[in-house]
Amino acid sequence: MASNPQKTNDSWMGSRLARKEDLRLVTGQGKYISDIVLPRMLHAVFVRSDRAHAKIVSIDTSAALALPGVVCVVTGDDIVDELRSMPQPVLLPNLPAKYPTFYPLCVGKVKFHGAPVALVIARDKYVAEDAAELVEIEYEELPVVVDPEAALEPGAPLINEDHDDNEIFSMTFTGGTTQAEHDANDKEVEEIFQNADVTIKERFRVHRTGLTPMEPRGVLCDWSDSDGLTAWITTQRPHIDRLAIIDLLDIPADKVRVIAPRDQGGGFGVKAPFFRENVIIAHMARKLGQPVRWIESRYESLMNVGQERDQINYLEVAATQDGKLLALRNRGIADNGTGETGVYWGFVMPFLGAVELPNTYTWDKADVKLRVAVTNKACLTPSRAFGHFPTRFAIERAVDMIAHKIGMEPSDLRRKNLIPHLPYTSTTGEYYDSGDFVQVWDNLMSHIDMAKFREEQQAARSEGRYIGIGFGTGVELSGMASEVLVPMENQPGYGAASVRLDPRGTALVFGGDAPGGQGHETSVAQIVASAFGIEPQDTVTTTGDTATTPFGSGTIGARGASYFMSAVHNACVEIKVKIARILAHDLGISATLDDFEFVDGQVVLRSDRSVKKSFRDIVERIIMHPINMPPGEVGGLEATVYFEAAKPMICFNADFCTVEVDIHSGEFKITKWVSSEDVGNVINPLIVDGQMHGAIVQGLSNTMFEEFIYNDQGQQLTADFENYKIANAADMPDIEVTYSPSPCPHTPLGTRGIGEGRPSSVPGALSNAICDALLPFGIEITELPLRPGAIWKKIQESQA
Amino acid sequence: MQTINVKVNGTTYQESVPIRMLLVDFIREVVGLTGTHVSCTYEGVCGACTIHLNGEAVKSCMLLAVQADGHEITTVEGLANDKELSPLQKAFNEQHGLQCGFCTAGVLMNMTEFLAKNPNPSDDEIRHGLIGNLCRCTGYVHIVNAVRAAAKSIAN
Repeated sequence: MASNPQKTNDSWMGSRLARKEDLRLVTGQGKYISDIVLPRMLHAVFVRSDRAHAKIVSIDTSAALALPGVVCVVTGDDIVDELRSMPQPVLLPNLPAKYPTFYPLCVGKVKFHGAPVALVIARDKYVAEDAAELVEIEYEELPVVVDPEAALEPGAPLINEDHDDNEIFSMTFTGGTTQAEHDANDKEVEEIFQNADVTIKERFRVHRTGLTPMEPRGVLCDWSDSDGLTAWITTQRPHIDRLAIIDLLDIPADKVRVIAPRDQGGGFGVKAPFFRENVIIAHMARKLGQPVRWIESRYESLMNVGQERDQINYLEVAATQDGKLLALRNRGIADNGTGETGVYWGFVMPFLGAVELPNTYTWDKADVKLRVAVTNKACLTPSRAFGHFPTRFAIERAVDMIAHKIGMEPSDLRRKNLIPHLPYTSTTGEYYDSGDFVQVWDNLMSHIDMAKFREEQQAARSEGRYIGIGFGTGVELSGMASEVLVPMENQPGYGAASVRLDPRGTALVFGGDAPGGQGHETSVAQIVASAFGIEPQDTVTTTGDTATTPFGSGTIGARGASYFMSAVHNACVEIKVKIARILAHDLGISATLDDFEFVDGQVVLRSDRSVKKSFRDIVERIIMHPINMPPGEVGGLEATVYFEAAKPMICFNADFCTVEVDIHSGEFKITKWVSSEDVGNVINPLIVDGQMHGAIVQGLSNTMFEEFIYNDQGQQLTADFENYKIANAADMPDIEVTYSPSPCPHTPLGTRGIGEGRPSSVPGALSNAICDALLPFGIEITELPLRPGAIWKKIQESQA
Repeated sequence: MQTINVKVNGTTYQESVPIRMLLVDFIREVVGLTGTHVSCTYEGVCGACTIHLNGEAVKSCMLLAVQADGHEITTVEGLANDKELSPLQKAFNEQHGLQCGFCTAGVLMNMTEFLAKNPNPSDDEIRHGLIGNLCRCTGYVHIVNAVRAAAKSIAN
């Protein structure tokens, strides 16, 4: 394959190594879920609700069943006594909420447009689709609730009837744990607002949008009475899926194996929940004793998953006249949809969004409250920038609005209020472990001459051209420590890896997470090659198979370079300790790991470099010839390591962009986008660049184009790529990613997990740039998406 | 059912197919070449199923298999020449022009034709040439870099 850059300082860490994954992917030899075919495999198609809220009066499956090639048609009533309902404990966060009870197929009523009502299984996929069209469902309409604020009103129609109102979750995030403490805190905040030089108060609305992997979901299940269930699932967390299937279908734990295919066409959080479709496909494979596969269509995907954001934040900020931020007060309302997915239930995203509201700034006090409403829409699914895309839009806009009010440069106001020293615990209790926000900020500002830009802006305005600059910052989770993930998702945060050496001197690495394009095989190979002094091509990584990998909570929340890679490194070290001990014994010297260097395929004695042994030879000796061993030592070279960092960790970024707005149409063009990143020590800058480009463009696409639209009857109007527009190449600018890294003190290689929350600083930066360009019109953007028509209207209104 | 003769990556297939079978399903399920992907599910918007039909880049979900009768098809599996990657395939690896790889086959097929017609494209031309291919991972920056690098490599 490609010629690769040389390693530096005898290490592959930091090398722009071209990816190992690519050879199969550029030649069409990837193995995605829809490429896996089993003998006798049947095809499943869901019949989905065309109503948003309705009682199921009757379902007539006779015409579908009569079609030659159809094996069965099942409805909710058929399966309700054959499997357990959700929720099951493994899928419940440790957060008090009104969790809905539900089954893989709707029982009794449908709660959103697109809900699965029946399942058709046939020998041919075209026949299955034909049969699905023939299933006749009679509904009785129920009142539809699509507005989250209306859903929370007393007397609003109930959506999840096992609870007494539509508020699935609410929380106060500041000031303590008891009502008295909250009241005291809120009073102090109110006093700050009363006495502040300047305040703003706005309703910030972010629409329903999210991420849509190019590969939709899919499930293939195979059953044998002796081995049980093997389930191939497009998933970011195969080990959790396995536990859920065990519990829901009551299958002995040794009889369930879940495999996330090695190649997955993107996840971005969308493949992180546990979905009802997994359960019914597994159940039917068991029942029929035949493999069953379901491949989601794009229509189904856009109807069911990838919908996130969707919050209203009533945000107030108090500041001094010289630009010191004092306090924030927020009343968030999130539109949860039905709440029918395992692990997240919709509200876990806005929960984190509220936690992350204070962002990178110091606040004396905060009063942050959140209410989450069930509505007749698809349940929110996580999407990169988990829950905090809307709150970050709000806070970054609010900072600029304060700056405009007191006549200060928004960039100066930001620098003045950045958290000056880490570690730091935010006003909502989030721990920021390490890094240097100010250094990252100053690196960003070194890429723009503000005085010159303001001159150019003035000159442009005199020609009737409107250019602007906008800023945004973002602090993101770098993996999730158990102390965060256990309460939030009822799952461990540690990273786990097995490293096994082969007698021929190559390394096999096993991880329980399940990546979907992040380049784990390459990054792992760089770490292993650096540890053992071997070449990156000598490492093979297996992920996602619960039968062969140690437990992992999944490829979520930037856990790669923070937790999984740290476990890989520590496993290598454990093996090296053993190699050193045996080699010292063989050499008849007293030496430990520190006395040896693993380099260029050799294990070299540092004190006398003529004393060395080839890595392959010592590995083969230990695995294949375990005689004359040191006392108490046995053969074999393999280690499984669980890594838990001492503290929850973060990464950090700041962005600016410049725009030009056409005031006659409201259209705008992004003329420059520059980022500054603290991502810790970088394993592969090529991969990290790619993560940042992708995340920023996802943020732009969400901000500018994508929007799930439900009408007042809950009909989803945007279930194809013609109507749910994703940014294409010509829509997007080039992006300049720069680095100002500080090594993370809590990981063995100083790495940080990156990329998950990265889109969240984008909507603020872009909106701020447009408002900056339009400052003469006094326009403040408070709603997304940023459509030219809406901007044009604001310009018109300002001139009226 | 109808019998068709289609040459795919140099091999002729004589197969009996339902008249309604989509060309992309014929390629994936009858011929068994799974490098051509389905993402937008037969809307012709995402470009993941792009192939060459008689040398021209087309979306194979927008055609029936019977329409390919008597024609020649190249898929992503046919881009490398006896295991030697094409300059564009090499450039996608070297420039990190792909992450999950799901859109990649379609991008490669479209851009192979694009570079044949536009051997020295500007970045703007590359970006407009890519409109028919949606990518969710890369933000397009490295895809543009890869196409530019491939153009340079072919010119040399």
